[in-house]
Amino acid sequence: MEHIFESLTQFWEYTGFANCSWQNVVMIAIGLVFITLAIVKEWEPMLLVPIGFGMIVGNIPMFPGLNIGIYEDGSVLNILYQGVKQGWYPPLIFLGIGAMTDFSALISQPRLILIGAAAQMGIFGAYLLALLLGFAPNEAGAIGIIGGADGPTAIFLSSKLAPDLMGAIAVSAYSYMALVPVIQKPIMLLLTTKKERLIHMPTPRVVSKKEKIIFPIVGFLITAFIVPSGLPLLGMLFFGNLLKESGVTKRLANTASGPLIDVVTTLIGLTVGASTQADKFISVKSVLIFGLGLLSFVIATTCGVLFVKLMNLFITNPAKKINPLIGNAGVSAVPDSARVSETVGREIDPTNHLLMHAMGPNVAGVIGSAVAAGILLSFLG
Amino acid sequence: MRKFLTTVLVLAAAVNLRAQNVSDLIINEAVAQPDSTGILDDYGRRSGWIELYNKSTGTVNFGGCYLTDDRNNLRKSLIPKSDLRTKLGPRQVVLIWCSGHSADGTFYANFTLAPGKTVYLVSNDGRTIIDSLAIPADFPRNLAIIKQATDIREQTFEPIDIPVSPSPRMVNGFQGSATKSELIKEQDPHGWILTVVSVSVVFSALALLWFLFWLLFDRPARKKAAGDASTTLSMTDGKLSMTDGKLSMTDGKLSMTKGKRTVIPSEAEESQVAAAIALALDMETDGDTYAAIATAVHLYMNDCIHDMEPGIVTLRRSESAWNNKALNFRKLPGR
Repeated sequence: MEHIFESLTQFWEYTGFANCSWQNVVMIAIGLVFITLAIVKEWEPMLLVPIGFGMIVGNIPMFPGLNIGIYEDGSVLNILYQGVKQGWYPPLIFLGIGAMTDFSALISQPRLILIGAAAQMGIFGAYLLALLLGFAPNEAGAIGIIGGADGPTAIFLSSKLAPDLMGAIAVSAYSYMALVPVIQKPIMLLLTTKKERLIHMPTPRVVSKKEKIIFPIVGFLITAFIVPSGLPLLGMLFFGNLLKESGVTKRLANTASGPLIDVVTTLIGLTVGASTQADKFISVKSVLIFGLGLLSFVIATTCGVLFVKLMNLFITNPAKKINPLIGNAGVSAVPDSARVSETVGREIDPTNHLLMHAMGPNVAGVIGSAVAAGILLSFLG
Repeated sequence: MRKFLTTVLVLAAAVNLRAQNVSDLIINEAVAQPDSTGILDDYGRRSGWIELYNKSTGTVNFGGCYLTDDRNNLRKSLIPKSDLRTKLGPRQVVLIWCSGHSADGTFYANFTLAPGKTVYLVSNDGRTIIDSLAIPADFPRNLAIIKQATDIREQTFEPIDIPVSPSPRMVNGFQGSATKSELIKEQDPHGWILTVVSVSVVFSALALLWFLFWLLFDRPARKKAAGDASTTLSMTDGKLSMTDGKLSMTDGKLSMTKGKRTVIPSEAEESQVAAAIALALDMETDGDTYAAIATAVHLYMNDCIHDMEPGIVTLRRSESAWNNKALNFRKLPGR
């Protein structure tokens, strides 16, 4: 009888109930909120479901030493997590993004590229604020990249600059990407007048196949020569796009934009979520990172919209004016931020379709954030 | 012939890579005559030693390379190939004892060091000298001659004439240097310089992209569009024309032509829309799918469809062995 009691006690010690702390409960609750938002509100479900479930997986209280935790060498989760830690997954996701992205909107109106550059101010605004709060420059750089609104880039850079903060940075980046409609709309309405919101932009010209093929090659050469440290991201992005546009590698493009990106997205979401183990995640730093992440999105959106207004000052032809509502799309959360431009634009004028125009700065934002990540890596890595 | 050339190129590249890897090794440090304070080898002896350094950012396997103190005998002391420990990580060092007995182990050479000698590291081909380090004749005991980085970025090293205290199994010169982040913190504590530089670079990169595409494609395309506005898609006597017509419609039939002006009979404004759709789609892709869509739109808009479908789908049953009842009856056992 005593033996049975001892065995039961030992079993109890191995259960999650015996090892549970309030931090685990908090993180599991956050994971459940993520899953709820993804299913009920349909906010970035492809990311929030894996991340949310990963949070639950990573915060199941367990007896250490069983070689099953994400931070225990050789465990299944640890092996899958290497793709995040070593920065393998983000370039693969960029390959898929490249194979899915149509740069026509950008090529037909090259001036919109500059909006994508302006919105990167969110990265450097957050960098300055993070320094002000006492973060080291490498940590500040990793936090700042949240403002690029690009999950893979945020993971890639934080894995190089501040691996300890990667979980908080990745979760923050993906959370705010999901909340883009909520964050950006009030800023856009605040910074624009009704007259500006009514601007109808000229129809983009049709882009030839030749232009579409040349764009990834020239784009890669220019950006990679200026910022070679952005090579893994830029190289994969433009390579994926060349696979798509060349027309002769449809199978490769389909794989990159379909099964490959799906597999990597699943793994990156789950492992990033699981990396938010309560004992490593819940800290003052994480709270500050979430605050700075939100500010970086606000700064990025503000700068994007204001930059369009600035551009309009130099455009004399009224027919060529740019609607400032596409300024928010300079942050690279593709295509959510472009969708926000369309929604807000149609609210005031149902005939004003801004989606295609907004896709220009949106994809420019992807390039811009990868370039910015490369710069930060070369300075702080 | 093509296969032969490809094989030659691949082999040449492989040989080149191999040489490139081993060539990243240097003799980093040497102590010729250790005294009683010198470090002990695995056998408790105080022998002279040399230190190899991998200055590359990749792992280099120096198994199969040679060490020698004799210019005329470059294969004097072979470093065994079979030992996994001969893989040297990026920017790492390894110590080799010059005990005079290579049989002592992988990291032992079969010669001893003395002032006035030069030690050579020879590639695995037994001919190419990768690096050498000369020990001056009057070199004091228990001090080391080292090479120090003159340029950390380029990883160029020069020997220092002044004898220094030995630093076995340590990278010379910059092991205590601050990280980039620490340097930035000192030089730019508030981050403004980095911000201004970074923003400038992001803008420059994207502005260059904008300028190039504006100059090479956007500007010419817009000029062409302005010049060809009347000829790109025009209606004359109820006929729709296009200049570089790849796609044309005649009598309600769609045909594909190349480099030829074709004419489409059109009575209604809708047909122009249909043709414009066809044009746009054709420029986007070369697929027959879009041609079919354009035909359908054209037919629909010109009331060429002779009957309207009621919205009921009728599936005609086709007989086969699979649905033949007679063949599918299970034969019951007879009474």
